[in-house]
Amino acid sequence: MASADSETRPGAREAAQQEPIPQAVKIIVAGGFGAGKTTLVGSVSEIAPLSTEELMTEASCGVDDTGGVEDKTTTTVALDFGRITINPDIVLYLFGTPGQDRFWFMWDELSAGALGAVVLADTRRLDTCFHAVDFFERRGVPFVVAVNRFDGAEDYRVEEVREALDVSEGVPILMADARVRTSCKEVLVELITHVLRVRSPALSG
Amino acid sequence: MSAEGSKAGGGHGHLPHPDTGPVPVPEVAVPPAAEAEAPDTVWLGLDSAGAGRERFLRPFAVDAGDPDAVRSHGTARGRGIDLLGHVVAARTPGRRERLRPERGAILEHARHARTLVELAAEVRLPVGQVREIVADMVGEGALQLCGPSRPLAHQDILHAVLVGLKSL
Repeated sequence: MASADSETRPGAREAAQQEPIPQAVKIIVAGGFGAGKTTLVGSVSEIAPLSTEELMTEASCGVDDTGGVEDKTTTTVALDFGRITINPDIVLYLFGTPGQDRFWFMWDELSAGALGAVVLADTRRLDTCFHAVDFFERRGVPFVVAVNRFDGAEDYRVEEVREALDVSEGVPILMADARVRTSCKEVLVELITHVLRVRSPALSG
Repeated sequence: MSAEGSKAGGGHGHLPHPDTGPVPVPEVAVPPAAEAEAPDTVWLGLDSAGAGRERFLRPFAVDAGDPDAVRSHGTARGRGIDLLGHVVAARTPGRRERLRPERGAILEHARHARTLVELAAEVRLPVGQVREIVADMVGEGALQLCGPSRPLAHQDILHAVLVGLKSL
């Protein structure tokens, strides 16, 4: 009877402590709907992008009666992410998150402790990444702007994009193709290089 | 039907043969390797079939009937666990998890250390809910939180990440 309950694996705790746990770090990929966030994540991730979701509203997930279960559906926002094992000690997670201001509640947590962010801009709808730029600037999260080149979209020069987004000279802006692994890799390398440039060792920790 | 843990089907991603040992949690047939997960093998009563992304959260999935848990939702209790915090199962699913399939699924998927957000994706529940459940399970001793084995300085991480990205 007792044996049927909660079988503690022999040595489970010891094993848990021996299993090497990497340091998990993250980069945020922000951008408007359809800007190519998940495509970018998928291009460099070692796993097919995973997805979880967060409830848009405070969920009434504990109910006092079993009636009205149909009321328990809530609007959710998808959180797609991928993973890159940097070395045995460090695993990098890439989070793609919607750029609209109504998703800020998620950004608060995501941006906390993030190495940096990529703002993925779609020149056909440049305004969709205004909020992201604004958010990261105010939070002091270092970021780069990657202009995702869509087939059929007009070509803009970096200066034009910089002016339109009103980002400072210090913020790198680069052209990218979210579908191309090497292009996404360049974006991430540029971001980390930028982070190393702006973060003095004294400020980090 | 006994709830003895079964390792007999290990690594094959299908149910163990009836003769080789019963299934730990009948409702949740999770292959030992999470990578081999076939989404449809985990059914937590959450997907409304064919309705796109619309989902239902099983009543009591989070608070298990504890009225205090409801009040604290989204507040202090679960907030301590980072999205990228690692958890690992301290035991296999047992009889208690039969009535709480979410917890059984979490224990199965956390056989090896998993980040909270990966765990949520694997058990296909909103990460906020998984955070609450995980916090409870850590409190009960069913799960353990684990920090990095080799904590690194921020600057060292950045340099290592740069090297790693360049070699992609």
